[in-house]
Amino acid sequence: MNFTDYTFLVIAIGTAILGAVCGMLGSFAVLRKQSLLGDAISHAALPGIAIAFLITGAKESNVLLLGALISGLVGTFWIRGIITKTHLKSDTALGLILSLFFGFGMLLLTFIQKQPNANQAGLDKYLFGQAATLLIADVYLMAIVTGLCLFVLLLFWKEFKILLFDADYTKTLGFNTKFIDVLITSFIVLAIVLGLQTVGVVLMSAMLLAPAAAARQWTNSLSTMVILAAVFGAFSGVFGTVISASQNNLSTGPVIVIVAGVFVLVSFVFSPSRGLLFKQIRFMKNRRDLELYKTLSFMHHIAETHEDISHPHSIKLLNNFQGFTRKTLQELEEKNYITISGLNWSLTPEGFEKASNLYNQNFKDE
Amino acid sequence: MNNAQVEIQLIASLVAIACAIPGTFLVLRKMAMISDAISHSILPGIVIGFFITQDLNSPILILLAALTGIITVVLVEYIQKTGLVKEDTAIGLVFPILFSIGVIMIAKNANDVHLDIDAVLLGELAFTPFDRLIWFGTDVGPKSLWLIGGILVLTLVLLFAFFKELKVSTFDEGLSASLGFSPILIHYGLMSVSSVTTVGAFEAVGAILVVALMIAPAASAYLLTTNLKKMLLLAVGFGVFSAISGYWLAHTLDASIAGSITTMLGLVFLLVYLFAPSKGVIAVLYREKQQRTEVSLLTFLLHLKNHDELEERHVNHLREHINWQKVRAKSVLDLALKNNMIVINKNIVSLTEKGNTFTTKAIDYIITNKDAQIEDMKDDFFLFRG
Amino acid sequence: MSNPIAIKVDDLTVAYNYKPVLWDIDLEIPEGVLMAIVGPNGAGKSTLIKSILGILKPIAGSVSIYGKPYKKQRDLVAYVPQKGSVDWDFPTTALDVVTMGTYGALGWIKRPGQKEKKAALEALEKVGMLPFKGRQISQLSGGQQQRIFLARALVQNASIYFMDEPFQGVDATTEIAIINILKELRKAGKTVVVVHHDLQTVPEYFDWVTFLNVKKIATGAVKDIFNDDNLTKTYGINFKVSVNK
Repeated sequence: MNFTDYTFLVIAIGTAILGAVCGMLGSFAVLRKQSLLGDAISHAALPGIAIAFLITGAKESNVLLLGALISGLVGTFWIRGIITKTHLKSDTALGLILSLFFGFGMLLLTFIQKQPNANQAGLDKYLFGQAATLLIADVYLMAIVTGLCLFVLLLFWKEFKILLFDADYTKTLGFNTKFIDVLITSFIVLAIVLGLQTVGVVLMSAMLLAPAAAARQWTNSLSTMVILAAVFGAFSGVFGTVISASQNNLSTGPVIVIVAGVFVLVSFVFSPSRGLLFKQIRFMKNRRDLELYKTLSFMHHIAETHEDISHPHSIKLLNNFQGFTRKTLQELEEKNYITISGLNWSLTPEGFEKASNLYNQNFKDE
Repeated sequence: MNNAQVEIQLIASLVAIACAIPGTFLVLRKMAMISDAISHSILPGIVIGFFITQDLNSPILILLAALTGIITVVLVEYIQKTGLVKEDTAIGLVFPILFSIGVIMIAKNANDVHLDIDAVLLGELAFTPFDRLIWFGTDVGPKSLWLIGGILVLTLVLLFAFFKELKVSTFDEGLSASLGFSPILIHYGLMSVSSVTTVGAFEAVGAILVVALMIAPAASAYLLTTNLKKMLLLAVGFGVFSAISGYWLAHTLDASIAGSITTMLGLVFLLVYLFAPSKGVIAVLYREKQQRTEVSLLTFLLHLKNHDELEERHVNHLREHINWQKVRAKSVLDLALKNNMIVINKNIVSLTEKGNTFTTKAIDYIITNKDAQIEDMKDDFFLFRG
Repeated sequence: MSNPIAIKVDDLTVAYNYKPVLWDIDLEIPEGVLMAIVGPNGAGKSTLIKSILGILKPIAGSVSIYGKPYKKQRDLVAYVPQKGSVDWDFPTTALDVVTMGTYGALGWIKRPGQKEKKAALEALEKVGMLPFKGRQISQLSGGQQQRIFLARALVQNASIYFMDEPFQGVDATTEIAIINILKELRKAGKTVVVVHHDLQTVPEYFDWVTFLNVKKIATGAVKDIFNDDNLTKTYGINFKVSVNK
């Protein structure tokens, strides 16, 4: 594949836009605790695509996506209906709609495949996505929707933010929360439908979640998070497309998801403030400090019995105490809390004070 | 019906039963989406297992794949524990990534692996009768039949052996821990059974439709009963019915069997969802309407009891002060009159003796929430029934 | 009391899923009081203020603020929700949360500017949280989070404040700081309604009290009605609190 060729440019721009819009809206889905709703909606879109094809016989993606949009919305409302009207919980409702709609969609797809009219080929791409089938018209549509989404996002930024954080309070300020809610949900559904051709029904939800989950680790500001998620999403889209285009027989969806997954993994581990690596380092340092202080306070306990606090004691005395090692003794000496001479140790005045403060502090905490 | 058709229906029914049993517990434990996660993430396990064994029905492959399922659960729980993302996000991240790895592995080794993407999603139920198990030179039936049969027997044995523990730990984790059953052991036991069943069913019905077979029969049954044993039986019944009727639907339409089975499951759920006697949508809507009137009536009676002033008890006050629509005010008034709760004298409403006693009782119930006091009122009032 | 009535609740009945939680509540709260709503768990305390604020839709009844329907008087009212009702891991800063208090006055679409920022900073200072203005909200202690919530309501510059359990899970210093601010508000002629569960502190903190248990049991000045009789009626068991008079 030639990476400067026109078709490739179209595809790369398309996936970049898609990744960006998914990242932006995904941030809202993640913060609203609706992560799995995206999964259900994307699966629920499948029968819509098939029915749109059966009715119109059209292959244009716009018509099919309209079908997807309608059936995605039907699925969303049915999920709400199940949760509010029955005692089934949200996870059951999501799983039900996801699998039932998808199964029905597969029934229709296999039915279509057996039909004599030959132009049905190409519906398969909606399962795992095939970015290579993107046309310039599709990219225009994506750009228009993304532009619209960006415009609405900027316009109602304040309202979106406050609703996400505290819906009840938003109501008391006089905002129509239902309107804001419908606005956000519609755009999320729209983004999912837009991504079906590229990423596919099965993996679309990851496209929504992964960039947002990665972005959340690097920042504590909503606007930065949304921007970062858009950037991560765009990169995942482009990288994924490049990789899958350079290989034979590889759908785009899975590759994009794995690239996005790498972003998540790196963010989870290496983010400076929340990342697991630094958390582990901080945790270990704390534990070492704690052990050190435990030894120190044990020494304090012994030294207290003597009038002269710097009276030397044998290291053997510490033997019935679990927390000490040769290394902790060394460290204590480095910190100038104790002095060691031969097989004896003695507290320095500094160490004695530190230890008595520790004791007082513990006391205060209780 | 030829032999192959019978075998396909038999396999589909066994898969349905094997899925319905763990599915019931997953639905009750609010873990339905975990089955979705497992069904996707076992794919890389299946592919690796296939590289090693070259046989989709090999027990080693099943164990490997089931292990991937359990790893998924552990991974999800680990990510949840870090607090980096909300719990549902953890599920939503883990399984698509593992599934993608599996899909790519298949695509990269398309020549060596006898799996194709369609089979991953839909299974190949129609082909199962052709892969026979030959034992000492005798044909003893399709391999998948033996496989899923074995898994079902295992599931049933575990179900009967640990029924009590499962029941207690599903409904009251604290109690089960204090009785000495480890909730963690039960949890991972259930996860293991779900994983093994998913792997076994995977070949027949594919990744996503396993989820349908696990959740839909259980969810439908849950709308009809809250008794665990009945729920299990109903779920099994719905599963088998959908499996067989789905087969014939596919036969008629010449479409995917798995897709048709799911469609039947969807129809069953839709019917139950709409028409279940007490928990279906129609029943719920009817009850809500009834309750709305009853709450309005009680509000009105209570208002009369609270207020002696004539002005507060004037018919028009219902509209002005209590802020009801005209229609509702009238229907409430009529209902109260019909039940001899009130008398209206010159547009002034007063409680009758019956109304007075009734109201006192109702308030007592509402404030103390003690059921004993309202046993005899339950017949007249929905409100107190649940 | 000769003060005008700030809040008037008429025949308010609320039900969750048609299960009744509040019955036929009539309530008049005079201007300039610091009032506690007390009652056992599940008595409908939070429900009462939520339905006054229009967050919950009552089955029957009406609410008026200074003689007009609540909907028309929204800008006179500020609300401090329960601390646990929001996700504190939300990516935002203390200053940002407080600035949200200005959103109501701004209305749709308009963004907060310098004026709003200044008001938010002043409110942060009032609750002693100015040094933490840039802090991510998850890194604040429970008491600090509660102060942020209070500051957000203060920014609204309302006449009436509703607070849901503001002392729950906060340290002693914060509790004193909050009550001092509430007393200041009262001095400025504002009306403050607080859902409260610590009966011991009622006489010390509040001058007005409403006993609630699904029905209204009593309402009035603390010195007149805060007694064992009403407590027993509300909590259902024989109640003896040492009331420091």
